[in-house]
Amino acid sequence: MAFERLQRLLRPPAEREVDDELEFHLEMRARELVAGGMEPKAARLQAQRRFRDLEGTKRECRRLAVGRAHDESRREWWGELRQDLGFALRQMAKAPGFTAVAVFTLALGIGAATAVFSVFRAVVLNPLPFPEADRIHVVALTSRRYAGGSASAGNYLYVAERQRSFGSLAAVDYRRFNLAFDDAPERVLGAAVSASFFEVFGGSAAHGRVFTAHEDTPGPDKVAVLSHGLWTRRFGGDPGVVGRSVSVSGVPREVIGVMPAGFDSTEGEELWVPIAFTPERRAMYDEHYLMLFGRLRPGVTPGQAKVDLATAAHDLARDHPRENEGRGATSFPILEEVVGDYRQRLGVLLGAVGLVLLIACANVANLFLGRGAARERELAVRAAVGAGRGRLARQLLTESLGLGLLAALLGVVVAEGGRRLLLATAPPGVPRLEAARIDPLVLGFAVALGLLASVLFGLAPALQAARVDLRAGLAEGGRGSTLGRDRMRRVLVAVEVGLALTLLVGAGLLVRTGANLSRASLGFDPEGVLTARVGFPAEGYSGHEKPARAFEAVLERLRARSEVQGAALVSKLPLTPGRGTNGLIPEGRDFVARNAIDSDSQFVSPGYFETMRIPLRAGRFLSDQDRRGGPKVMVINEELAKLAFPGQDALGKRMACCEAGEGGPDTPSFKEVVGIVADVKPFSPGASPLPQFYLPLDQVPVAAWDWMGRTLAVVVRSSQAPAVLTPLLREAVRSVDPAVPVYDVRTMLERRDRTMAQERFGAALLSGLGFVGLVLAGVGIYGVVAFFVSQRTREMAVRLALGAKARDVVALVARQSLGPVVTGLALGALGAVAAGQALQKVLYGVGAIDPLTLLAVSVLLFAVALLASALPARRAARVDPARSLAAG
Amino acid sequence: MAETSLLHGTLDALILKTLVAGARHGYGIARHLEDATQGAIDIEEGSLYPALYRLERRGLLEADWRESETGRKAKFYKLTREGRSQLARETKAWAEFSAAISRVLLPA
Repeated sequence: MAFERLQRLLRPPAEREVDDELEFHLEMRARELVAGGMEPKAARLQAQRRFRDLEGTKRECRRLAVGRAHDESRREWWGELRQDLGFALRQMAKAPGFTAVAVFTLALGIGAATAVFSVFRAVVLNPLPFPEADRIHVVALTSRRYAGGSASAGNYLYVAERQRSFGSLAAVDYRRFNLAFDDAPERVLGAAVSASFFEVFGGSAAHGRVFTAHEDTPGPDKVAVLSHGLWTRRFGGDPGVVGRSVSVSGVPREVIGVMPAGFDSTEGEELWVPIAFTPERRAMYDEHYLMLFGRLRPGVTPGQAKVDLATAAHDLARDHPRENEGRGATSFPILEEVVGDYRQRLGVLLGAVGLVLLIACANVANLFLGRGAARERELAVRAAVGAGRGRLARQLLTESLGLGLLAALLGVVVAEGGRRLLLATAPPGVPRLEAARIDPLVLGFAVALGLLASVLFGLAPALQAARVDLRAGLAEGGRGSTLGRDRMRRVLVAVEVGLALTLLVGAGLLVRTGANLSRASLGFDPEGVLTARVGFPAEGYSGHEKPARAFEAVLERLRARSEVQGAALVSKLPLTPGRGTNGLIPEGRDFVARNAIDSDSQFVSPGYFETMRIPLRAGRFLSDQDRRGGPKVMVINEELAKLAFPGQDALGKRMACCEAGEGGPDTPSFKEVVGIVADVKPFSPGASPLPQFYLPLDQVPVAAWDWMGRTLAVVVRSSQAPAVLTPLLREAVRSVDPAVPVYDVRTMLERRDRTMAQERFGAALLSGLGFVGLVLAGVGIYGVVAFFVSQRTREMAVRLALGAKARDVVALVARQSLGPVVTGLALGALGAVAAGQALQKVLYGVGAIDPLTLLAVSVLLFAVALLASALPARRAARVDPARSLAAG
Repeated sequence: MAETSLLHGTLDALILKTLVAGARHGYGIARHLEDATQGAIDIEEGSLYPALYRLERRGLLEADWRESETGRKAKFYKLTREGRSQLARETKAWAEFSAAISRVLLPA
């Protein structure tokens, strides 16, 4: 009995009520039965028995009672929240200036971050538009020295047959085709692909069909598949195009299918033709030019695929050692290939914009703290009428939340503007950038940022409020908590300064990188050079003599002009993407793949080096004395000389490459090194030098003209602005053959700038953000110091009256803020190191930890802080002691 | 005394009706229903109290503790305005239902 009573006491009230109620019922029922003549104990039992399951009933009623209590407390909570929100809105309306500043500051930060996120989402996060795109992998064949990844036809077929992880493995050779069917020929980007290509990418034709395996053999391969874009653009979206004949680089092909919109593969190619390996090509294991894509079999993991490929490559090296010794193979998801290092770049940008948002939050928190002093009395009153500390803190947080959400709303507008700005100014080549838009996910991101920001800037004042000594607040008018508040403001200033330093150091590093890249030596003189690509069709230009003569005619026409200082041809321009490599084996080393040095190959006409002003280091340039049939020669760059003949003079030595020797397919074809030239940057000014070699155009193997597509780049130097040369160039080509297009016409300077476009853009963006951060931090410091001054007017008046000089007052004020600034700079130095590490991959000519940049930025920040403190300090010094003492 | 198991909803309606005249405690409601139905329907105590709690949670009943006729404190239930409307709805529905059944089962 006693135990039961104890249990009842311990139960919460709702449950105790149930017990009492049922106890009352049992008593009444027992009384009724006793009145009818039953004996009390029996009556009691009977009363209980009428319940059938007394304990069960009690349990259920208790459950229901507790549920009701929960409902009530939840209603109460919502009611309080509505109250708080209403109050928050009224507060915001009462101080419109304050609210506006806070909201705009935050909206700027949130908007910028959201804009960057929308880009990040489109470029990095969005999946590719293929069915189960994560199952599509790039298969790369590697060698010990070169992780390039392209494959020869022989290698492809060997691996395709032996691997077990991929349901289909496709080979792709990206090319530019001359497309002609009615009138003007057009140069389109396309690809020669194996029949398995469409299986890998999971595409079936929207009209017609894709090619079969049978059509992927020489003979029946005169077919073509169009992309949706090409179909709409040149064929007017007419389904009747299926069955028509078009001329693709001079070869008539039947259009058998059109791919649906959205099937875009990875390079944006518009035309697909079968790759149709010839038997000779199938036996070639040493010319690497194909990109391989595979679709994983269901249930196969990427790790298993890697192991499988490694095994296949090992067997390949064993069975074809001459070309493939040390060959390896690996695979990675295709999204990685497309996204590349944008994940990292955009991640850095997102981080930077996040820092700006944090600085903005710190500013708003300071604003709140400043206002907090004024509101202390009001809070004290609320506490006096019964609001607990938790309730007060919740009240303040609700205000912050309201502000944060408002800022998020405005931020979305800013984000849309920012997105448009980014899209308009971004450098070319950013994949999938056009897909960036403000969609529900991005909106959710903005709202989340708004909430996060509210918590961040609302936390400090809310904590303050919870700690406030409310009685003191009522009594003295708010002096008691000033100390704690001041400390928090100083902490915030230090944080802001640290963040701003990190941001500015990052920007500074990128700016220096950009400057270094601009000044970097390219290995040639780009000023005054115009370049373009010209390709002759197969029809009418078969073999080697006809295209060679056509090109020579173009050059002659150009050289005849007085504006032209030099004109020449080259197979691959510097500072452009794309690589053609061959393995070179120096004479004296065993003629095996192990000894091959993968080098960039260039075929050049006489006068190329002079036109480009590539410095000669030893020997001579190639000239028109190097004819077909004469002794085979080559010119190499310093890097290749170092690798091939370390410590020796490469001049006069020989190297084997590029074609079979006279003795048959396994014998080397030696070429003598007649000249050594400076290293020329193949891709971008910041890249490290690669081995390169040059062969005279006249001496290239006859078949080379064909697989080059009879296409070469023309370089022309002029003493005047190179743009003047464009019409001359077109005219020169037209006079040789009017049907041949001239395309990709750009000056060498334009090409250089394009390679640096990414870096420039990144530097500009980060500098912009750094500037915003600097201004925000400056404003924040100004606000803190001004507030300090306004609170201390009496004190300063007293000091001045007691004989302190204006100088001392200024010093006192300045010390207030400069202490945290210095702390902030120290903290920021750590941040700067982190920023340097994050940017390491894109830096050029500066280390990740650069003392010069750090120093310069610190000085800048300190100067700004000084200025921001000095202005209110000067005002403090000019205080009229008498007036303020009288007023105080 | 025939024992008929009552449907949930019917018990609710009976409870609401019982309280029209004024507030009662749970025992009072049980006794009133026993008398009013002349013992023809046996109200299971085990169902009555959960029904009362549910009605209270739904907002159809209000409860407070008062002194009962014996001097002890008891929990008294009374109808809310919503409870009265609900009772009117239930009564109307029952009348229509029973009229329809009667038309089928009891033709002259």
